[in-house]
Amino acid sequence: MTLSTDALLQSSFLAGAIARSGKDADRIDGVAPRLVVEPRTPEEVASILAAASREGLTVVFRGGGTKRGWGRIPAGVDLLISMRGLARVIAHEHADLTATFEAGATLDEVNAALGRHRQWLPLDASGDGSTIGGAIATNDSGPLRHRFGTPRDLLIGIRLATTDGRLVKAGGNVVKNVAGYDLGKMMTGSFGTLAAIVSCTFKLLPMPAASHTVSAALPDKESVTRALVALNDSQLEPLAVELQAQAGRAPYRLLARFATSPAAAVAQAAQAQGLIGGGEIITGDQEAAIWRRYQGRAAASAGTVVRMNWLPAALPGVLALFETLAQAHGSVELVARAALGAGLIRIDGSIDWQASVIERLRAADVVRHVTIVDAPPDVKRQVDVWGALGAGGVISSAIKRALDPAGLLNAGRGPV
Amino acid sequence: MAATIDARFVRELERICGSSGIVREPLELLTYECDALPHLRAVPPVVVLPDSAAQVQQVVRLCSRESVPFVARGHGTGLSGGAVPVPGGVVIGLSRLNRVIDVDIPNRRVTVEPGVTNLEITRQVAPFGFYYAPDPSSQQVCSIGGNVAENSGGAHCLKYGFTVHHVIAVDAVMPDGELVHLESALTDAPGPDLVSLLVGSEGTLAIVTKVVVRILRKPESVRTLLAAFDTIRGAASAVSEIIAAGIIPAAVEMMDALSIRAAEAAVHPGFPAAEAVLIVELDGNGAEVAELFPIVEEICRRTGATSIEIAADEQQRARIWKGRKAAFAAMGRVSPNYYVQDGVVPRTKLPEVLERIRALEARCGLRIANVFHAGDGNLHPLICYDEKVPGEADRAVEASGEILLYCLEAGGSITGEHGVGADKSEFMPKMFTDEDLDLMLRVRAAIDPGHLCNPGKVFPTPRLCGEVPGPYRQHPAEKAGLAERY
Ligand SMILES: Cc1cc2nc3c(=O)[nH]c(=O)nc-3n(C[C@H](O)[C@H](O)[C@H](O)COP(=O)(O)OP(=O)(O)OC[C@H]3O[C@@H](n4cnc5c(N)ncnc54)[C@H](O)[C@@H]3O)c2cc1C
Repeated sequence: MTLSTDALLQSSFLAGAIARSGKDADRIDGVAPRLVVEPRTPEEVASILAAASREGLTVVFRGGGTKRGWGRIPAGVDLLISMRGLARVIAHEHADLTATFEAGATLDEVNAALGRHRQWLPLDASGDGSTIGGAIATNDSGPLRHRFGTPRDLLIGIRLATTDGRLVKAGGNVVKNVAGYDLGKMMTGSFGTLAAIVSCTFKLLPMPAASHTVSAALPDKESVTRALVALNDSQLEPLAVELQAQAGRAPYRLLARFATSPAAAVAQAAQAQGLIGGGEIITGDQEAAIWRRYQGRAAASAGTVVRMNWLPAALPGVLALFETLAQAHGSVELVARAALGAGLIRIDGSIDWQASVIERLRAADVVRHVTIVDAPPDVKRQVDVWGALGAGGVISSAIKRALDPAGLLNAGRGPV
Repeated sequence: MAATIDARFVRELERICGSSGIVREPLELLTYECDALPHLRAVPPVVVLPDSAAQVQQVVRLCSRESVPFVARGHGTGLSGGAVPVPGGVVIGLSRLNRVIDVDIPNRRVTVEPGVTNLEITRQVAPFGFYYAPDPSSQQVCSIGGNVAENSGGAHCLKYGFTVHHVIAVDAVMPDGELVHLESALTDAPGPDLVSLLVGSEGTLAIVTKVVVRILRKPESVRTLLAAFDTIRGAASAVSEIIAAGIIPAAVEMMDALSIRAAEAAVHPGFPAAEAVLIVELDGNGAEVAELFPIVEEICRRTGATSIEIAADEQQRARIWKGRKAAFAAMGRVSPNYYVQDGVVPRTKLPEVLERIRALEARCGLRIANVFHAGDGNLHPLICYDEKVPGEADRAVEASGEILLYCLEAGGSITGEHGVGADKSEFMPKMFTDEDLDLMLRVRAAIDPGHLCNPGKVFPTPRLCGEVPGPYRQHPAEKAGLAERY
């Protein structure tokens, strides 16, 4: 951190990338980056990283900025590298069902392009404007995870810019390939601590011809459990099974989406309605609107959002725990991939109370990997963002030292 | 650098694994000299057969302390020489770690030791209406540990993915002897997804001692058809149109005339004598399969199928699959020897690459049969030769290497499921740049700084030549960091 911000702005390493000093809107947990750069090519990203290494500058990558709340509070940020300048669709091989995008493209942008051939990248993330690179780096996912998994499950190739200023690739352009280490999948969850993701190649899917969603309000956790067991034990193949509730305030809402060939979608939705024991079947624009609103729920919060995981059959225990969290001067909301055992909890209330809820979740046996996705800095000062990493932490740290020996990438913020 | 295996070292191994857990007899050692790729062989000085993760850990600790390289071995069905012993190294056979630890139907997962066979997992859960999806043709004999190491796939991975998509967690002994539990991104564990790094790393990063896999509900409906075509191009266009219609079959397999003939001779599946047959299978929800299957049939007719056989029952379906799955072994009926290649091209490039293979066949004077996973562009050319004819074996290896170049020129990969192993490491620099390989090697060195874990595999040897690559010598902190794990 020898160079002044002015000197930084003049630096030749910016290689023509758009640069300006950090503004309020760029703050990360209240910390303003000294410089914001927006490279327009992978080569620019690489040369900026090489220079950051040379000068010992700490770096934070920003995609759509939807996940800025993730991570520990940084001590300081020299360079905020916005990846939004890299948002091109590089190739859409529709007959091969593959496509390559730059990492700064948002899921919406990508899917708008793929839609022309009635194909899609069936990923959804918490928050509109989430970029592809950001979704991989945070291992983020949404309701579509029920069928299609997390971003890594569709990822087949990756291009990275490393701290030594190189551009390297792993994987390839074909859906089946086991040559070399799958570094792309390893980047899942790396949270910008290992390298910059500059582009990614994905396996795509045909867009389903029809979609119907069953939406049911269920009065209590017993009826939720009954409905889910019935759905899971059936031969139905939903695209998404979501459970949403506000502890102590409103009944549970179960959403089951069926998207496939037209007659099968209708038949499955009707069958699901029977198994759940009620609810309405929604389709068309109304269905799209419901899902859009639903997606926004967990993302928009003044408080804390945590992500957590549980064994699917432990759901009754998780719901019991969730219900005990309700109290007068705070609110908790659950948004869950109910059949998988994964979900988000939104916690609003006093800072101390938010922190105490996180601690209660971490202490509970039924849930695991309770990670803060977004929280006011004051909450982060009380509880660690990542929680215990286990044995993987030691190995990940060794990999981190190999790829980022000076510890510049997401310094202090990331899981490693 | 590497210590030699002397009597004292062997006594230590024996102390860990017991006298029944160590193989020293020259004749018995021959069993371990190669995997299912017969032309790469090396007799190991010693093989250990631990029967617990703790024993594996102690063996690896010993090797690490004494700088003796080691190679994990599952059931030796690998097709890239991954389990071939390394000079002066110990082979750690995992066949005795073959316990099914937990069958958890409500949570849809099964926990097994690595020596359990792939099919055994399905056997355990079938009575409950579940199955383990990745289905390599070798599933009756290959180990789940080997599957994890190779990221094995099967005919049904077009729809259901590979091993990596089904592994929830592993226990692994790291090269320093630390026994760790790692969870994949599927569990939302924070931090880089180390499980997906280990899956497909071909035994070069760790020895897996426990695997937690997810199991799937058996599909309600399965429908299979066998369509014959006059040309490979016709069959390929059927595949393209099925995909363009928005249908992802569970499997799409293609066989050419020579492989059809071989399969007929070996297992009599009743395949028509055609230039190509296509096996298309749809599975899933009953309503969905019922709606889509007639579309597939229609497409096959429209693209020129000369005959279509629809499996009327499970027996007919099994017969069709038997013809396909026996295809490799069946080559023995039409050729004294054959070499199995494994390359991938973008699906749309299949006809073009197959034409190049035809031209190669004419040029090199060897017959080449083609059996492949057409849905995902994974080719398995079978190059026929006679080892008794001088020069033929060499020509076969050469031709098989040339096919990989066609795959790369078409934008594909040098391996779709059999791995790089010892067999194809020289092709890695043709697919990856020095910088790409260097990054992989840096990751490798971070985990295995002593370079003891299955050395000489995956990466081309000249780069490895006994030395750990560059950056690591400059960062002694690396070593210190890893040492903390003791
Ligand atoms: C007839 C035939 C058909 C085949 N069909 C298919 C197919 O359809 N799809 C497919 O993908 N493959 C196929 N294969 C290849 C082979 O069966 C797979 O690669 C399989 O996963 C190897 O398992 P194995 O137990 O035999 O492993 P091995 O051959 O013993 O070992 C393979 C590699 O895994 C490593 N390894 C083994 N166990 C462990 C462990 N516990 N921890 C770490 N590393 C370990 C070894 O070091 C080696 O590098 C086929 C092979 C044959 C002979």
